[in-house]
Amino acid sequence: MSQFDKIAQSLIGQDVFRAADLTRVAIDDGVAAIEILNQGLLPGMQIVGEKFRSGEIFLPEIFLAGKAMKGAIALLKPAFQKEGAPSRGKVAIGTVQDDIHDIGKNLVIMMLEGNGWEVTDLGVDVHTEQFCSVVREKELHILGLSALLTTTEPRLKEVIDSLEAAGLREKVKIMVGGAIVTQAFADEIGADGYAPNAVEAVELVDRLLNK
Amino acid sequence: MQRLSGRERILTALQRREPDVVPHMELWLNPIVAEKIIPGGSIEDLTESLDIDGIAYYTVSMEKYEVLDQSKGIIRDKWGVIKRDTGQTTPHPIEAPIKSEKDLESYVPPDPDDPSRYEPLKKMVERFKGERAVVAIIEQPFMRVNEMRGAEDHFVDMIINPDLLLQLNEIVVDHHLKVLGNFIEMGADIICFSGDLATKDGPMASPQHLEKFGISPLGELVQFVHSRGVPCILHSDGNIMPIMEMLLGTGGIDGLHPIDPVAGLDIGVVKEQYGDRVCLIGSIDCGPLMMRGTKEQVRQAVKENIRKAGKGGGLIAASSHSIQSKTKPENYVEMVKAIREYGRYPLSLD
Repeated sequence: MSQFDKIAQSLIGQDVFRAADLTRVAIDDGVAAIEILNQGLLPGMQIVGEKFRSGEIFLPEIFLAGKAMKGAIALLKPAFQKEGAPSRGKVAIGTVQDDIHDIGKNLVIMMLEGNGWEVTDLGVDVHTEQFCSVVREKELHILGLSALLTTTEPRLKEVIDSLEAAGLREKVKIMVGGAIVTQAFADEIGADGYAPNAVEAVELVDRLLNK
Repeated sequence: MQRLSGRERILTALQRREPDVVPHMELWLNPIVAEKIIPGGSIEDLTESLDIDGIAYYTVSMEKYEVLDQSKGIIRDKWGVIKRDTGQTTPHPIEAPIKSEKDLESYVPPDPDDPSRYEPLKKMVERFKGERAVVAIIEQPFMRVNEMRGAEDHFVDMIINPDLLLQLNEIVVDHHLKVLGNFIEMGADIICFSGDLATKDGPMASPQHLEKFGISPLGELVQFVHSRGVPCILHSDGNIMPIMEMLLGTGGIDGLHPIDPVAGLDIGVVKEQYGDRVCLIGSIDCGPLMMRGTKEQVRQAVKENIRKAGKGGGLIAASSHSIQSKTKPENYVEMVKAIREYGRYPLSLD
């Protein structure tokens, strides 16, 4: 088994310590950080995502694998600071105003980061104006909106309408998600895409940006 | 059949028998909606005015909080969980009190005998005892520990630190046993255990983890409540179909709520598969239908609900979660009316 396969396996096995140890060894061996990420960590995390989607693993396992991934990436950070951080594109995600649920959103962030996207977590209870200013100020590829409550679902449309009114709608692709959101609702409010879970959110981002 | 009281209707439905009419109650009903239907009125007033068969007392939403930052709605609950209240549903946790084992040493759970925690329940019992079912809601240990430890840590602990979770479960079970004893002594007719075990995709944890950290402590509580001759309702949103056998095996739950249609559950299918073992409560869309639908659409949804799950009893007609702040008041009134109209036994809806 190659060094990269072992790193991938450590994520699949949700082994926080082994993932860190193997990453450290690879760095010491002079392997480029970008290779450790692209050939070890990312493929590992992709398999974790697949296992989650197929019902083979559940929230405890995916959060623990995410923890292992985060620990390994933290070790790669100094190298990235020298070499320049790799990024496939920029995504910002937040839960809409009056809604403070974040497990789903955090899972999506974890999976996107685990797939090489640079993600800004806007947090929860993000007001419509905040979403607009983030789009105005940052060079984003994707804006993700999350809503869990039936009472906050209308906020998704509000954000899209406000971006439209401010002339910002064309700047970003918008994806929506959350327990009550459906594809039909996403279409109705003019979102670019909807994903029912974190794994499909990654596929959606790939699709939206044709990557 | 002679006219039954609301309490009798609900208790009969929980025994999976036919009352005179399909009963109705909500576990959570936003006071804003009550106020819109009866200006100046409370949930209790609305219950009486619409002749709703039961009323629920939820410790978590009705207990007094320690306010930490009024302007941001930041509060601390009795378990030490820091939460934000945006006025939408129950406040949402943002910081957990048990950050490590060390916090456990000095941790003091809330006093189960603090009389101030029971004032609202006492008032409900005084007003409705014998007439309408009084349901006391308490969080499942799984949800309580999830808030004490923080969601992500709680899940990760199941694998790397199970002992901490078992200790927390023990604290919660000890506390809950005393609270449940008090609830029953004060006259609660039914106990409901709230808290989600599944997301819309499926169970939150593997069957083994759910059994160990969720179902086993819950079973202890259900057993205690049953030993006092009181029925139990289990609430969990999400797709619980893959763990249904485990849930129904939990000391024999009497009622299941809310048969979540957002997670793909169809009350007709659940009735067919499990209707002989548990009373079904819920499933009438509390989202788009109640918030934006027409009265006629509400009537049709109620009719469909009763047609699918009312046969032979064992149905308490209710929304698919709660009556939320943005529910159209006239839609809720229509829902209650339609349940009375279509729910008369013997049913003739086919």
